[in-house]
Amino acid sequence: MKKRILAALLCASMLLTATACNVKTKDDVQGSSSNNSSNSSNSSNNTTTAASGEKPTIKILTSSSSETDANVIRDQLIKAGFNVELNLQPDYSSTTAQEAAGNYDVYITGWTTVTGNPDYAVKSLFKTGGDYNKSPIADPEIDALIEKAGTETPEQYKETYKEFELKLVEENAYLVPLYTNYKAQAVNTSILVPESVHLSKSRSLKWEDIEFVDSAKNATDPLLMTQTNGTLTSLDPIKGNDGSINMLNTNMYVRLVNLTDDDQVTSDDSLSYNHVIADGNKEYYFILRDDIGFAKVENGAAVDSGVRVGAEDVVFALNRAKDPNSVPEHRTYTLHESMDNIEIVTDLAALDSAKVSGSDQTIRAALEAGLPAPISELVAEKTAANNASGKYQVVKITTKAPFPQVLNYLAHQSAGIVSKEQVESINTWDVASYDRNTDIGYGDQTVVTEGSTFDNHLMCSGPYIMLYKNDYEAVFQANPAYRPGTDAAARIKNVTVKFIKDSDSALSALRSGEIYALYSVPETKYETVEKEANLKLTKIPSNGVQYMTFNQKDGSKMNNVTLRKAVLAAINQEEISAVYSGQKLPAYSTLGQLVDTGNKLVFEQGKSQQLIEQYLAETAGK
Amino acid sequence: MSNNSNANYLKREKKRKLSRFVEYKTATFATGITFAIFLVILGGSFDFATQSFQMGSVTLSLVFLVSSIIQGLVSYKIQSDILKHGDIKDSTRKIGFVMLLFLLTANIFIAIAAFTLVKKDKGIEYTLSIYALLTSLIVFMISALNLFKEYVANTFMLGMGLLAFLSMFYLAVMVLVHKFVHHKDVDKRMKWVGYLLILSAISGNVFALILGLIIITKIKRAGDEISVEWIEVIRRLFRNNMAIIGMLVVTVLLSISLCSYLTFDYSIATDNNYSALLQPPSIEYPFGTDDYGRCVFTRIVFGARISLAVGIATTVLPIIVGGALGAVSGFYGGKTDNIIMRLLDVLYAVPGILLAIAIVAAFGTSTSNLIIALSIGSVPTYARTVRASVMGLAGSEFVEAAKACGAKDHIIIFNHIIPNSLAPIIVRATLSIGGAVLSTSSLSYLGLGVEPHVPEWGNILKAGSTYLETNPYLAIYPGLAIILLVLAFNYMGDGLRDALDPKLK
Repeated sequence: MKKRILAALLCASMLLTATACNVKTKDDVQGSSSNNSSNSSNSSNNTTTAASGEKPTIKILTSSSSETDANVIRDQLIKAGFNVELNLQPDYSSTTAQEAAGNYDVYITGWTTVTGNPDYAVKSLFKTGGDYNKSPIADPEIDALIEKAGTETPEQYKETYKEFELKLVEENAYLVPLYTNYKAQAVNTSILVPESVHLSKSRSLKWEDIEFVDSAKNATDPLLMTQTNGTLTSLDPIKGNDGSINMLNTNMYVRLVNLTDDDQVTSDDSLSYNHVIADGNKEYYFILRDDIGFAKVENGAAVDSGVRVGAEDVVFALNRAKDPNSVPEHRTYTLHESMDNIEIVTDLAALDSAKVSGSDQTIRAALEAGLPAPISELVAEKTAANNASGKYQVVKITTKAPFPQVLNYLAHQSAGIVSKEQVESINTWDVASYDRNTDIGYGDQTVVTEGSTFDNHLMCSGPYIMLYKNDYEAVFQANPAYRPGTDAAARIKNVTVKFIKDSDSALSALRSGEIYALYSVPETKYETVEKEANLKLTKIPSNGVQYMTFNQKDGSKMNNVTLRKAVLAAINQEEISAVYSGQKLPAYSTLGQLVDTGNKLVFEQGKSQQLIEQYLAETAGK
Repeated sequence: MSNNSNANYLKREKKRKLSRFVEYKTATFATGITFAIFLVILGGSFDFATQSFQMGSVTLSLVFLVSSIIQGLVSYKIQSDILKHGDIKDSTRKIGFVMLLFLLTANIFIAIAAFTLVKKDKGIEYTLSIYALLTSLIVFMISALNLFKEYVANTFMLGMGLLAFLSMFYLAVMVLVHKFVHHKDVDKRMKWVGYLLILSAISGNVFALILGLIIITKIKRAGDEISVEWIEVIRRLFRNNMAIIGMLVVTVLLSISLCSYLTFDYSIATDNNYSALLQPPSIEYPFGTDDYGRCVFTRIVFGARISLAVGIATTVLPIIVGGALGAVSGFYGGKTDNIIMRLLDVLYAVPGILLAIAIVAAFGTSTSNLIIALSIGSVPTYARTVRASVMGLAGSEFVEAAKACGAKDHIIIFNHIIPNSLAPIIVRATLSIGGAVLSTSSLSYLGLGVEPHVPEWGNILKAGSTYLETNPYLAIYPGLAIILLVLAFNYMGDGLRDALDPKLK
């Protein structure tokens, strides 16, 4: 009996062996399909690199939030014939510390052009000595092209930026573009009117238009929103430009102009009725409203402070925005340094003599379009303004050089208008001897945080004001003095922003009705959101671009252009997008979708291997 | 009243009769488990989205239903044999050969029952050879799944050939054991079989190793009257069904993680395949593919290596360090004891997982850091266990005798005390390996364990957790793997504790 079983087993195993003889081994497959890009296994021991016996090692640095990118790039570089080490840091600050220490070869990072204009997307990143030019890149040709494009109109700068991109990527491989993000937003349609929740390319979410489906709730129920970060950099608009305050400050301070959903500069829902660019592209005029007042917090509620928002506050706010020494930890002056002078215009004749850029119309005629009453007088004091009787305030901004994109910067939250009297009464200390432990600046988060330090001194010109915050949420109330009785005033009286650190938890909160709208939905969850009957997903291409830079500090091997090009050639953008369920758009530089330059990064199989060979040959003699 | 107690007595008597027969126990166990598998597969085949059954899975579940019914009939036959004749009839035992065919449906439980049924007078050696054979067959079958892949490892054929050869060898050993091993009488010629068995243990087959050791020990001690203590422990261990299933799972995982060096290709587990992202389970990808197009099945197989290595290393390291500290402090007592134990108490006060997180966060993520981080936390527990038993032994007669003979302290500790205090350590170690596997996975899940591309079970689970709603299998399979391994170690630990307990001899 046993022998029979033995024989049967023997037969079975021989049968298996026989079928197995038709099986391809790894070497068989690699030999036959080294040109097949979809094959996962080619060339980690490719013959071209194996011949030279060594592989250049690339150290990738990024924060754990970009883990997916790091994984794909590690894989692509290994397949191209590099050795790869991964340096994943838990958060943004430890990542930048590693970057500053030069402890990397390539750094995966992202850039979002929050102002919606191309100059901001390139200047501080790639110009010699720029704020965020950490690689650093020092190339006079690049500098010249950035400068040139800045002075040009959109029709003209398209070509300049195209040339710039080719220099930056194709010729010098200073940067490896990865992808352009989508900006996606999910709204609970059974609670909010979906059309009232805007999704803009650059501008942060605007709260004042949002309405409840049941309009009776507008005055009573709070609008529940969320954001990731609960530690607020500062509620002084010029002191922060990051995810912790962008949405909050956007809704708390009014600006001279705004950006529309597709990044066009507009005066709608801003402090100005109209804005005009004067001939020569150096002078900009804004005619101000008289129906916006500052709100303050009293007894836990937003009240009208009785102080109007006027030209004096504009001049004060913009002067401090462009002056790096106006406050300690000024984080946004580079956005505003193109401005030379900000002044109140009182001479009506000056408006008559100047012409609008590219037109024969006078400034006055252009400013007067659609006003409640024609301009009869320009006043210097905001209290004297009375639009109904033709008394207006006009602000004129002069830039150092012709620079039409200054309007985009004025639409940024950092150009929010603050109260001159209030800020001056709080920032009484000397900037040079400021001590962050004892001196409290305007907008410091400790004054709005519940507890012993609470002393809400905010005075807000926007549609909302923050009442208080704690570790879990920030509570806002509508500004009663913000264009009362008009359509522009806030629809929903109370807003609560919950701090939810994890995007998956935030999505769960949305689905369970704990929050009503989610501002950024992860790519992998689009399908989940679309399946829910009461959720609506809206997505548009954003100005956020993910890219890699090289360590070009002294002594780094990445100063070798051939090696940089080898890394560039190893990247296949389509594969990265595939990992994100195809929810990423191609990119060629940080300009992303801002300028349609027509440049494209095309992946060529085997090109990277050739460049590595070339690099090894170059360095072999040294 | 008396009628009732009489009925109870008959019931107990019947139970007692039946429980003497391991054949009956394994047969009913196999029936139950097979029926449970039928229910699980049937439940899994119901697609809630379309409110319908998937025919493939239903067919598979029916196979198990039929197996379960047949095995149930066999159990009934065994039961009636025992109750009528007080023994199992030879004709009934022959059914076992037929039941072996169920091995083709990958039903190892029925196979075990069948192997147990066919032989009347079973020594521990026969049982061990069954499990050794089963282990190599299971590993062979799991590895054979690679045939459906786009390509296999270069050494695949060599590996499969060796596995096939090993299976045949164990089958031959089974026959040889049947012929030449009768309780204490072991044919001298079996010595060479024993050495070969020990050699074959490099495939990770613990059963073969134990069998080889037993055969050689029995040959060496052929004349002795007293039975060897550790063989008795193994014999008691094999009375516990769950402990043995646990040991089988651990052995299979150990064996597959060693054999995977030949039969599995690491690049399938780590290289991204952008043309096969998030594929549902299929014959080519038995557990589907993850968001980078890597085969989850292959990743879990390679993950077993890391989980087992880290699990065992984080248990062995603290045993050595903690054991030495505990032994010294228990033996010398007084000030030495106080200093060592108070310092360890400080360490004990810090929660283990918190300490591990702190260490990994400070020194970076790597497998060696992970092992160190998890080891440090469990040093005090082992030190305490060893100290307690050393204190008990330090005053015993044989230690006194050794002292009187002038033996040095370290000789007394290492030669006399430690071998006698090993039992509680072994039990604690098997029980805590499960915990160590869990901690490793938890840390990886939090992104603190190993690098993201490394196929560690916690890492795989983490990747799956993002797709819990759309692609649940990404999280289910690594989760099951973790549960299975931890349960297996725990059952094995429980069984060992019972087997080592002097009261239960």
